[in-house]
Amino acid sequence: MVTGVGVLSAFGRGPNLLEQGLRAGRSALAPLRAFPPLGLPLQVAAEVDSPLFDAPDFPDDRKASLAFAAVDDAVAAAGAPRLTDAGVWLGTGLSTVTVRELNEDVMPYVRDGVLDRVAVDADLRRNHVAPRRHLPERVTAAVARRVGALGPQSTSFSACAAGAQAIANAAWAIRRGEVNIAIAGGHDSMIHPLGVLSFIVLGALSPTTCRPFDHGRDGFVIGEGAAMFILEEESAAIARGATIWARLLGAGNSTDAHNATAPHPEGAGAALSMRRALVDARLPASAVQHVNAHGTGTPLGDAAEANAIRQVIGAEVPVSSIKGAVGHCIAAAGAVEAAACVLAARGGWSFGTAGLSDPAPLGVNARAEPAEDAPQVLLSNSFGFGGQNTTLLIGAPGFTPS
Amino acid sequence: MTNRAVSVAAIGLFCPAGSGREGAVGGRKGEVPGFDARAWIQNRKNLKLMSRSVQLGVSAIRVALGEVSGWESVAPDRRGMFVGSTPLGGELGDLIPALEVATLPTGELDLSRFAERGYPLIHPLWLVKGLSNNVLGFASAIHDFQGTNSNYCDGEASGAIALWEGWAAVAEGRADLVVAGAADAWVGLEGMLGGLRGGEGAAFFVLRPAQAGDPFVIEPVEDGLDGPDPEEDTMGFLGAAWLPVIAARRLLRGEDVRFRGPGRLGLRFAAS
Repeated sequence: MVTGVGVLSAFGRGPNLLEQGLRAGRSALAPLRAFPPLGLPLQVAAEVDSPLFDAPDFPDDRKASLAFAAVDDAVAAAGAPRLTDAGVWLGTGLSTVTVRELNEDVMPYVRDGVLDRVAVDADLRRNHVAPRRHLPERVTAAVARRVGALGPQSTSFSACAAGAQAIANAAWAIRRGEVNIAIAGGHDSMIHPLGVLSFIVLGALSPTTCRPFDHGRDGFVIGEGAAMFILEEESAAIARGATIWARLLGAGNSTDAHNATAPHPEGAGAALSMRRALVDARLPASAVQHVNAHGTGTPLGDAAEANAIRQVIGAEVPVSSIKGAVGHCIAAAGAVEAAACVLAARGGWSFGTAGLSDPAPLGVNARAEPAEDAPQVLLSNSFGFGGQNTTLLIGAPGFTPS
Repeated sequence: MTNRAVSVAAIGLFCPAGSGREGAVGGRKGEVPGFDARAWIQNRKNLKLMSRSVQLGVSAIRVALGEVSGWESVAPDRRGMFVGSTPLGGELGDLIPALEVATLPTGELDLSRFAERGYPLIHPLWLVKGLSNNVLGFASAIHDFQGTNSNYCDGEASGAIALWEGWAAVAEGRADLVVAGAADAWVGLEGMLGGLRGGEGAAFFVLRPAQAGDPFVIEPVEDGLDGPDPEEDTMGFLGAAWLPVIAARRLLRGEDVRFRGPGRLGLRFAAS
């Protein structure tokens, strides 16, 4: 059971802002503010424009601040449950060094075009904390300390599937009795010159905007965010009188076993992930009433995913992607999108696809506009570099499988 | 929870003490002696995209699977993979040409120059080379493992979590063949270790529903070991690979191994 949600997205801090934005069919993509565009093919981004408190132990690590804010909000939304025995499952992404760190920790050691590793090593011996400050398990441990959780901890690094994978891992741990309550979710921020560098050199970013499933789609827009959930075993949640936001019905995952960055052209891995989630939830494909696609807006990715959705779910079920509204939150994407699904399942509406105006003939029912269609079961896909795929199935609070 | 019994069909081990059974005895810090990834990874294009720890991990998985006859008969979607690793990101050295053309006379980085003149000098797959799930990504593609999987970055606990989750996937029936373990490489990064000597290594276990003839069994126990074994501090800092390497060495020496999983139970590995 999902009994609490905290989310920060380009719509702002809090589930209400995400719901209002998506339910109105708006996009939160905006001109880049975090740093000057520098002539890069990067005009817009999906930044979280909310004040974040400082995290003194995590200087220059914006995604840590995002995580802490989302956790605080999720715990509050769940009615501050007892978390002593809780486990913490987080998904996060690559920590590239910041420009300041480059200037302070690297540039002094570049000599004649070569990094003087001996000098770097000698300096690191005096300050060995600096390069390890970004290790992702530090945030997971800090979250556990923050809420007093003494249960298991795990940090999923599955590229852009990490947030969804962390939620799946937590759900399975609850199901097998390792814990009764868990904090699970994802957090990431790569909106800085070295973060976007990675995607620019790969040619993955759109120079204009994100258009999932559109004829003119040409890449994604970089986003950032965090979403955290309080997940509880059903009887325990009911016993403490928790408010049920939604039901996590099942999860599946797979690998493409194909290529480090390109998806399997027929979407074989994506299809397997969806099938596994259905098996895990003991639901037929016909139970799915809305698909939140990974939908990055890349030509190959959307085509492969559409093929997989058509195979497993069919051509008629509405398919949308919120990446045209909140950007691609990278490792946090699966968690932020799971939050959107939870809100939709709870509120009886479903989201559309900002940026979609000229649907490409991909054989799925890609939907541009939100709808008040009371979906009982939503399927959410997340796919990552390295070929890792994760699918979550989220049900309305009152949904019971027939 | 109804669990199937699980056995270990094979182990692939590279550590500073050596490879396979040779690596199970003695202690030596630093690099894996004589390790040459080209012996295990034929695709030279892929090899260029692999960091040292990824080379060790992918090689150890190949070694382990090479000792299991008939594993290919398990359907690809029933083959799972669970990996522990350390995210060190892209190789900074690969950025140096781009940084150099963007450096002001003051030594400061000029971002505009970096964008204009530096970006074209960076290899398009720079990010890909630094991904922390590369062992899983490459090995799953090489051996066609399409089933359940996960990659963990939890420091020195990463390998233990991968083994635990790998065992659970077989025990719970989510996979019929699992490769689980970890790889890491810290030689040359001693500055980050506060004076510790860096080591490197990888150990991967092939797990499957218990079969007669498999050399080792795994079973859940209530009293997993907690904390490091000082006897094993002989190979330098192994990071994520620490526990799988220790477990592999002990099993190959004929000793039992217990460790605590992330939940309430631990696991015991022992000879069949």
